[in-house]
Amino acid sequence: MRGRFAVLPILWCCALASPAADFQRDIRPLLAKKCFACHGPDEHARQAKLRLDTFEGATGQDGGFPGIVPGNAARSRVVARITHESRPMPPSGEPLTGREVALVKEWIDAGAVYQRHWAFEKPVRREPAVRDASWPRNPIDGFVLARLEKENLRPSPEADRYTLARRLALDLTGLPPDPTAAEAFVRDTRPDAYERYAESLLASPHFGERWARVWLDLARYADTRGYENDGRRTVWPYRDWVVRALNANIPFDEFTIKQLAGDLLDGATEDDLIATAFHRNTLTNTEGGTDDEEFRDAAVKDRVAVTGQVWMGLTWGCAQCHTHKYDPLSHKEFYQLYAFFNQTEDSDKPDDRPTIKIGEASLPVMKELVPAARLTRIHERGSFLNPGEPVDCGVPQAFHSLPEGAPKNRLGLARWLMSAENPLTARVQVNRYWARLFGAGLVESEEDFGTQGSAPVHPELLDWLATEYVRLGWDTKALLKTIVTSATYRQNSDVTPEAYERDPYNRLLARGARFRLDAELVRDQALAVSGLLSRKMGGPPVMPWQPPGIWQVVYNSETWTTSEGEDRYRRSLYTFMRRSSPYPAMAAFDAPSGETCTIRRIRTNTPLQALAALNDPVSMESAQHLALRALKEGRSPAERLFRFVLARPPSAEETARILALHREAREELRRGGEDAHKLLRYSEVLYAEDRETAVLADARDATVEWRYTESDPGTDWAEAGYNDAAWSSGPGQFGHFEKPADDLKLRTEWKTENLWLRTTFDVPPGGVDKPKFVVRTNSAFEAWINGASVMSNNLGRNAYYEYELPQAALRPGRNALAIKVTRLGERGQIFDTGVVASRKLDFGKVRRKHADRAAWVVVANTLLNLDETVTRR
Amino acid sequence: MNPYLEALSHDTRRHFLERCSMGLAGMFLASLAKGEAPLAARQPHHEPKAKRVIYLHMAGSPSQLELFDWKPELVKYDGQNCPQHLLEGKRFAFIKGVPRMLGTPYKFAQHGGSGAWVSELLPHFATVVDDVTIIRSMTTQEFNHAPAQLFLHTGNPRFGAASMGAWATYGLGTENQDLPGFVVLVGGGNNPDGGKSLWGSGFLPSVYQGVQCRTSGDPVLFLSDPEGISRSMRRKTLDAVRDLNTLQQRRYGDPETAARIAQYELAYRMQTAVPEVMDISKEPAAMLEMYGAEPGATSFANNCLLARRLVEKGVRFVQLFQWGWDHHGSSRREDIRHDLPNKTRAVDQPIAALIRDLKQRGMLDDTLVIWGGEFGRTPMRENRGGSYGSFVGRDHHPYAFTMWLAGGGVKGGLNHGETDDIGYYIAKDPVTVRDMQGTVLHLLGLDAHRLSYPFQGLNQRLIGPTDEAKVVKALLA
Repeated sequence: MRGRFAVLPILWCCALASPAADFQRDIRPLLAKKCFACHGPDEHARQAKLRLDTFEGATGQDGGFPGIVPGNAARSRVVARITHESRPMPPSGEPLTGREVALVKEWIDAGAVYQRHWAFEKPVRREPAVRDASWPRNPIDGFVLARLEKENLRPSPEADRYTLARRLALDLTGLPPDPTAAEAFVRDTRPDAYERYAESLLASPHFGERWARVWLDLARYADTRGYENDGRRTVWPYRDWVVRALNANIPFDEFTIKQLAGDLLDGATEDDLIATAFHRNTLTNTEGGTDDEEFRDAAVKDRVAVTGQVWMGLTWGCAQCHTHKYDPLSHKEFYQLYAFFNQTEDSDKPDDRPTIKIGEASLPVMKELVPAARLTRIHERGSFLNPGEPVDCGVPQAFHSLPEGAPKNRLGLARWLMSAENPLTARVQVNRYWARLFGAGLVESEEDFGTQGSAPVHPELLDWLATEYVRLGWDTKALLKTIVTSATYRQNSDVTPEAYERDPYNRLLARGARFRLDAELVRDQALAVSGLLSRKMGGPPVMPWQPPGIWQVVYNSETWTTSEGEDRYRRSLYTFMRRSSPYPAMAAFDAPSGETCTIRRIRTNTPLQALAALNDPVSMESAQHLALRALKEGRSPAERLFRFVLARPPSAEETARILALHREAREELRRGGEDAHKLLRYSEVLYAEDRETAVLADARDATVEWRYTESDPGTDWAEAGYNDAAWSSGPGQFGHFEKPADDLKLRTEWKTENLWLRTTFDVPPGGVDKPKFVVRTNSAFEAWINGASVMSNNLGRNAYYEYELPQAALRPGRNALAIKVTRLGERGQIFDTGVVASRKLDFGKVRRKHADRAAWVVVANTLLNLDETVTRR
Repeated sequence: MNPYLEALSHDTRRHFLERCSMGLAGMFLASLAKGEAPLAARQPHHEPKAKRVIYLHMAGSPSQLELFDWKPELVKYDGQNCPQHLLEGKRFAFIKGVPRMLGTPYKFAQHGGSGAWVSELLPHFATVVDDVTIIRSMTTQEFNHAPAQLFLHTGNPRFGAASMGAWATYGLGTENQDLPGFVVLVGGGNNPDGGKSLWGSGFLPSVYQGVQCRTSGDPVLFLSDPEGISRSMRRKTLDAVRDLNTLQQRRYGDPETAARIAQYELAYRMQTAVPEVMDISKEPAAMLEMYGAEPGATSFANNCLLARRLVEKGVRFVQLFQWGWDHHGSSRREDIRHDLPNKTRAVDQPIAALIRDLKQRGMLDDTLVIWGGEFGRTPMRENRGGSYGSFVGRDHHPYAFTMWLAGGGVKGGLNHGETDDIGYYIAKDPVTVRDMQGTVLHLLGLDAHRLSYPFQGLNQRLIGPTDEAKVVKALLA
């Protein structure tokens, strides 16, 4: 129970607490929080031989200290200790409040009855009982309404059709509705219009893309290996498999079994193998000098922890060093689970083997060693360097056993997770769907269903959904349809101050949910409403525009090269994810990096989000195209813009404010130099590389003669007017290698320590934009243009690499370039360079029509930044 | 309360109440109940000695044996085979078989009233040793860069935990709401090996993550108005955003909308405040000269001067990373004779200037400056692949390394801890990475054992789940 008693006294203590002490609701969470760390399941941490997590332990029947005398609080030592005047238990942290002490006494007096933690008992399906039968559309609503009736609250009315059109489209497909589709739904008078609309979205191929992103957070999906080098890894075929599987609506049990053990299925298909890449998303440390076994072990531990988190909502990872302090998982049991994952071939190798070929790509997959070759031992204190007693595969004792006939391998474990006896898997998964649709789970701590987690506000609803999912044969789309067609989901999200005060987080569900869109949705929405979004699905990750200089990873010269054509505008799901350097505009909106399994994203609201949404060129580019789209489509751009962005018509006040902004913006743009043209041609301004040409070719494209010398030319050699007639002359590349790589074009030998180079190049009369050096060298160098130092670098990345030059460094007409190179390499050296720059855009005069149109771009930029725009309501 | 704080407090209370276990974050709840912003300055656990931190991380790990830990005995053994007992049961990154011992080629001398031994590579630093506590007895448990950096900064060698600066701003907030509370400056041409997680917020809310300020391009990503949008146009759009959001809040009633209005206004103020603080061109020439800083350049000197400007403006935690100290001896660029002097030349003068500058402004007393790498380097010469080439360097060494602290409640002129005669093991007063983390938080007025955040069923802490971290009392002034 997180936060409730402390922070919402009115709601939770008075309104909700029933008079009798309830073990599940009141006592276990209290004992878990205050006592279990020293008096819980972990025998190594146990103090005073007192154990309070079981009846036998608390009463001393297990041979330990009897802290509790059932039926007699006054004679129970535990009561004496928690009420001790000078040194009350617990020894650190806040002592129990008077109310908490009273609860404990009451519970002991009533017999100190222990019950299993609610989440470890199988869900029980009950039918809801309500007074008002007119509101519920399905059993979900019955449970919600029953609770509201208890609190004397009423549900909110159904949201209007525009709101529902946008809400459903964003929730189910991750994209805003097309205004035409929204309008058609609004005008659809058939009684099942809503169901039809929901079904069409569930059938959309974008459904899979949206829900794949949810799943990939759990899979810690990324396109690189992590750690220092963080080099590329091909995992996108797995991402595409997830999209396909979700669109094909394969049952969740099958979805699970394929990912955990597809390779162990009889007659495993290529898809079954691809699915196993789920657990190959663990990090690989290719940093020089690492112990591969250390990081293989880290990956195996991660697989155990992630499996527990994702399917059972349990923090198994806590037991890798010692027995879990709160939940029933011993240190030994952790390694019994570890044993399931300890027989795969992968071993932290830089080539990611074992892999399978998918077309050109090599996808890392799970493959069992045959015969099993590793003996699993307990790791004392969690360190693989301290192996202890050997253990065999096994599941935790506190839960059901492996199903009859299940093999003792990953396949058996996967079947155990999906077994009808498992009390958690269905609950955890339906809670996840609920959380994505309502902003918070029925169990708020999605990542922890253990004794430290929060209890469900609607336990019967959770259990009904869990049993319903199983009854539907794990049919995900059917379950989602049940949820989104409920009256609960369809409620209006507007809130009055009184209602907000009463239930600020809407845990009772007396209104619809309202929460900020996920990072990917913020970007995809902007692209979609502007008409830029590409609907192309699948394939290798793409690189939309990001600010230069984000990728600076040690010992890795890979560059972010902006994709071309529609790949600039693909859904965010397809954006290249580098773990050490996440895509910045999405990181600002709390997107995970893929370094760890993210069960739920913590939503924040920061100025950096405002900066990204206002100023990110990609957002600005969307504004340009959005405005032009609105101008093309109708007479009232204000209304069109509003309908595109928010899928609803504006109010009169909103229209007036937009028109005022448009007027002010138009006036300024009329006077404002080239701004109007820049806004109307923003994409062209942004993608300067599309206009890029070589002003000085490097050795790949041409043979350019340089003046060079290997002896120190003295002082003024870098000046424009220096006379280099006495120097030698030769073409790049310069250098020498004992064993030259195939792609080298060494044309002038240079073997000594230093090299001085000079040449000239011409810049067109109008000047150029965004000049860059293109350099390939493993040496240090310093460069001067027209006598002014423009850059120095000693990183030596032996591949052609671009370095931005100051705009002012180049002047129209002839420019003199001088470079000093200093050898760093041991087995060879190379230097080659060229200069590229972009043609300047030719803007004409700003006329009234330009200013008028560009002012709509300003308006579009504004609308893309509204709170309602980045919110799903 | 100003409207911004008022609006934000809604969001913040809501946010915190959603996330924090009862009792566990009581301190924060108490202050948030008063309606403070997530980064509003907060009361520490106890009276702090340091109000702010400048952490200078030398990524790659400089050799303590060339800079601080003078070992004449090791020089005597130079070139001899390493004794077997120092190799048995050890894991090295690159050393294979039996390496040779390596004495330093550099001269050392004693400096200041404390008689601190400092190498000739650090002539400027040698002049400020009396303001510094040098700890020659640091140890860590990791010997690869990325895990060791993660362990040092987040308390966990794997990914997912929160960094020291994030903990500091979570615990203390910051003094200037127009600037980020935790600023990161990266130098040396590469991000540090552990990547952006070294200044990430991990399981803490992302408002606490470090904001990277850059010396080329936008000082903060997306800070500048895009092409075609002038300052006055930006103001016009923000006014419209505010008005339209207000209309919508009236209609829908969600306080989150008010929070967003406030964030947009804050963003607008940051657009002015950040470039101002990042512009060193208005510093007096003598100041630039003292640091060796140059407006427009990308250098460690500039970053040191920026660090001072940032803390002066109320930033809580400034983290510098300077990459390039991984001197294995596998190439000229990794050679302790050829390249280490380049690296020390780039940092020595700015570091001394930073300490002197803080001192003359009266800020050193409550500004903690921390310097160090993520582990040490071996007393043996590295023999990558089992043989020696023409370059000289040392392998990674977790058992002993040097860090130093200055100001912020730390003694000046103290030499703490010793290694053995050859600098292999700690001989006296070992200080672990966890001790260092506990001590830094202690100086900031935070109890490292109490500063926690509930995540995955545990009260997560910078110092990890066990209670091994201790405050190194001997360092405290």
